[in-house]
Amino acid sequence: MQIQDLPYPDPGVPDARSGPRFLWWLFRNQRGGQLKALAWGLLHFLSVSALPFCVGVAVQAVVDRSGAQLALAGGLLILCCIGNALGDTFLHRTAVTNWITAAARVQQVLARKASQLGSALTRRVAAGEVVAVSTGDVEKIGWFVEAWSRFTAAAVTLVVVCVGLVVYQPALGVIVAVGLPVLALAVLPLLPPATRRADLQREKAGRATELASDTVAGLRVLRGIGGEELFLDRYRRASQEVRHAAVRSARMWALISAIQVLLPGLLLIAVVWYGVHLARQGRVTVGELVTVYSSIMILTYPLRHFEEIAMAYSFSRPSARRAARVLSLERATDTTGTRDGSEPPGGDLYDPATGLLAPAGRLTAVVCGDPDAAGRLAERLGGHPSEEGAASVLLGGVPLDELPLDSARTAVLVQDKDPVLLSGTLRELLDVPRSGDVGAEEALAAAQCADVLAALVQGSLDADDPMDARITERGRSLSGGQRQRLALARSLITNPEVLVLDEPTSAVDSHTEARIAEGVRDLRAGRTTVVFTSSPLLLDRADRVVLIHDGEVAAVGVHRELVRSEPRYRVVVTRETDDEAALSRGFSELHEKELQEIEESA
Amino acid sequence: MIGVAPPAYDPAAPTTANTLPVGASTTVRAYVVELFRRHRRAFLLLITVNTVAVVASMAGPWLLGGLVERVSDGVGDRELHLELTVGLFVAALLVQAVFVRQVRLRGAMLGERMLADLREDFLIRSVGLPPGVLERAGTGDLLSRITTDIDRLANAMREAVPQLAIGVVWVILLLGGLVVTAPPLAAAVLLAVPLLVIGCRWYFKRAPSAYRSEAAGYAAVAAALAETVDAGHTVEAHRLGERRVELSERRIKEWTAWERYTLWLRSVLFPFINVTHVMVLASVLMVGGVFVLQGWIGVGQLTTGALIAQMLVDPVGLILRWYDELQVAQVSLARLVGVRDIEPDVGDARLAPDGRDVHADQVHFGYLEGVDVLRKVSLEVAPGTRLALVGPSGAGKSTLGRLLAGIYAPRDGRITLGGAELSRMTAERVRSHVALVNQEHHVFVGSLRDNLLLARTDATDAELWAALGAVDADDWARALDDSLDTEVGSGGFALTPAQAQQIALARLVLADPHTLVLDEATSLLDPRAARHLERSLARVLDGRTVVAIAHRLHTAHDADVIAVVENGRISELGSHDELVRADGAYAALWRSWHG
Repeated sequence: MQIQDLPYPDPGVPDARSGPRFLWWLFRNQRGGQLKALAWGLLHFLSVSALPFCVGVAVQAVVDRSGAQLALAGGLLILCCIGNALGDTFLHRTAVTNWITAAARVQQVLARKASQLGSALTRRVAAGEVVAVSTGDVEKIGWFVEAWSRFTAAAVTLVVVCVGLVVYQPALGVIVAVGLPVLALAVLPLLPPATRRADLQREKAGRATELASDTVAGLRVLRGIGGEELFLDRYRRASQEVRHAAVRSARMWALISAIQVLLPGLLLIAVVWYGVHLARQGRVTVGELVTVYSSIMILTYPLRHFEEIAMAYSFSRPSARRAARVLSLERATDTTGTRDGSEPPGGDLYDPATGLLAPAGRLTAVVCGDPDAAGRLAERLGGHPSEEGAASVLLGGVPLDELPLDSARTAVLVQDKDPVLLSGTLRELLDVPRSGDVGAEEALAAAQCADVLAALVQGSLDADDPMDARITERGRSLSGGQRQRLALARSLITNPEVLVLDEPTSAVDSHTEARIAEGVRDLRAGRTTVVFTSSPLLLDRADRVVLIHDGEVAAVGVHRELVRSEPRYRVVVTRETDDEAALSRGFSELHEKELQEIEESA
Repeated sequence: MIGVAPPAYDPAAPTTANTLPVGASTTVRAYVVELFRRHRRAFLLLITVNTVAVVASMAGPWLLGGLVERVSDGVGDRELHLELTVGLFVAALLVQAVFVRQVRLRGAMLGERMLADLREDFLIRSVGLPPGVLERAGTGDLLSRITTDIDRLANAMREAVPQLAIGVVWVILLLGGLVVTAPPLAAAVLLAVPLLVIGCRWYFKRAPSAYRSEAAGYAAVAAALAETVDAGHTVEAHRLGERRVELSERRIKEWTAWERYTLWLRSVLFPFINVTHVMVLASVLMVGGVFVLQGWIGVGQLTTGALIAQMLVDPVGLILRWYDELQVAQVSLARLVGVRDIEPDVGDARLAPDGRDVHADQVHFGYLEGVDVLRKVSLEVAPGTRLALVGPSGAGKSTLGRLLAGIYAPRDGRITLGGAELSRMTAERVRSHVALVNQEHHVFVGSLRDNLLLARTDATDAELWAALGAVDADDWARALDDSLDTEVGSGGFALTPAQAQQIALARLVLADPHTLVLDEATSLLDPRAARHLERSLARVLDGRTVVAIAHRLHTAHDADVIAVVENGRISELGSHDELVRADGAYAALWRSWHG
């Protein structure tokens, strides 16, 4: 796989049974790349390891006063130079390609998993885990996958060089062959505590960043009411804690560095001492002694890969485990459905659990004292709810839960209380799968978005057309009311057979809300619409108002009539003045109980 | 493959306007100088221990060179001084090990200290920003500076600066060692320098911005996924799953295009570096070899020289490794330091209100030059009055509220509190009299106590409980596991929006300003919860002057005076009954509301 061919047309099905299996799956899928990296790595490390031999030849040449031999050393150096440059460059290219392709593959399977899980994901703790895998774990997994070929090449090189030295100069070579493994393994026991300290430091740094961004996020509150010093002090303390943790971590790494100097140094001294004795006896030449010395200096380079692979593995193991866990998540319910969904159903929407009926082609408003119950009911109206239990909602007599998920969502669009604006241009935001001919302009007008469009143009860098203006993540640059209206416009554009809106205008001022009520009513004329609301401005424009109480339909009618005849309705939709409240207190025990419930739920 | 052009799409390009200034190069330079001056001693210490470590590291090659010289001369055992040499070798090694540890440690200490200074400086500056600047600029830009830019600088400060200092000293000392060993060998090393310079110039001209784009591209991959997860409900309801996968893959394509480009940059740089390294060694060996054959230098000097040349690989690698990090860091530093360029809040500390009357006189105001959002607004709010501002979105209600809270200064006309002009008072003074409460009910990460104390830092627990009681929050607060010490905010105990709102109001009770501006303070709540809360609020606010930007008509109904704001002007002004009688826009709305 070349980088320019990414993303994968099909990233495949990951083996998510466990962390190591997941790593193995990634590795298996890029075996070719790994072999290439290994081959280039061998060329690189062997060329580097041959340099000391050249040094030895050159030194011996001048000891022997031989110009020809010196020239030979020069020739060998050129060969090493070419091998080293080619090997290093292509090792880097192939290894980084392995890293990138592995990372891209993991990101791709994550994206697929996330969109497959959809609403099931937000309910779970796992939502944070998916993001954690994508932001941090992918890099660690990629690191291990990439480092593997480099490590293998380095390890093979070490064996080859040790064997070579034993053959080249047995007496000294044996010392090196025994000493090198000790060097390779010596610092490994120190790595876990060092890694733990580094983790602690990262954790504290994360905490400090969180405090800082939290302080900034609430800065308007702080500047408005005071307490800056309190928060600055707190941040200073956190920041100093990070510093102390970092220095503590550095102490460990400093110790490791010292050991990495000390141990090869001791090996060098042993070689020099023994080597000079041998040279005096004429058993080794001066050139050979220099070669062995220089080899030890150079071999510390491939030796570092032992540490790296140990660290990469200790970092990537928990990451791979988490990735496997996330990728093995499944939706709780069957989404394929038992009925054929090619012919979309139509007709009245009926919920057998509450008795709620939304006649086809009409605007039905639902009033429900308990906002959480309203949210659950709204979700169930779309079919395939995240919590199973109640019998399926019927659309034209067809149980929505038995349709394929996609068909159910096509037929009924449920806009929940907190619809999310996805970042991108306004055009991209409004470009949703639609089943009708409602244009963006119409929908934006119905949702009273004129001032939102103006604000978007004003806040953008270069857009004159509001459709090109960018909306930031979750529409954070807009006010709550503006966000709600854009979300409503998006739902109107979709123009589904049935549109269910849960408190679509709770953050919109009354003037605008009244206009939206008109707009939605006109635009949805002839289509089935259900609005959960307690606003008289919306209720007044509904064809049919249903009061849900204690999970059942308690009253049906129109707003003006219900306001007069139904005290339980009145208490939810109009705010009564104290006098009125005192009056209505006499109405019934039930009423009083409900008032209390409302207060509790608030 | 002849080369790779930089991708056309740059994910690091700004998408929203920089709402806060970016530091000019002079400001950045002045800051860097100040930072160095502050840490002068630590720098000197680092360089000193580094010097000792490097000098000690050259003892090995030097001693071996001497031995080689004497062995090849065939001197006797006495003159060989093997034991003495090995003894010196061991001593030098111990010194080197001890000082290498110090170098690493001192480098980290210096880097961490600088980084801590930098991030604390930035936050100190940020919390001192004038409220008007914050309202106008929003906190998004500031937020990205304190997360992304501090993050980028972390590596530069904690690693790049100390490591570069170490690397440069190291190279200089090794070259010095070569000169001492045999000057011609040092000259031979220089043969390789032009090659390295050519490669580095080409690379460093392109690398920093390319890495920035690459990092932004990678962040965009993660951001796309995070959004899909966050918007799970919306994605499923609108059947956007496939599009989200496509988007993720497009982001991957954009990111990997930059990876490919930076890989190409390194593919050019690496051969230059590799060839330089071997050339340094080769030229020392060849030039030195010829010199030895000519009898100009000894074989020992050649050995020492070759081994020192071999040691140059590490510091050169170090410098190259950290140099571009420093370049990337410059951009982030400019963004952080830019906050220092904002004029701090200047107000006249002597100016204090006399009384509580709020008075707006012929006020004009606009965010942009030539576009007035408010025109000719005059208003009088007597102490203890409850004034409601109603009107359609975008009519200027919130802007008027902010002017009355002293956050913005009118372009023309005056707004006074107790006869003193609000915009000329210090922010600290203004907020002791007037508080603005908006939709933002930020719950800070920390204990519940800290979240309340910010309003009055010297409040006792009893006072905190009294404030919670005043907003009906004491019941649930007492039920928390750790009571006032419970950790709340992101990552802590999750408060409901209604509870967050109660916290915000409890802060108001503690701060106790006599005049309040409430900007749709309850609009993000469920209508039923909002209603309940407004009841508690009314109790708390008794006797205070309240300007409420009303979003539900019942708020207006309860007010003493209602001002209908339309199109930047006050179109109707009077009590509820008066306005209903007048039969204007307000009356029409009220009828529709009340049925």
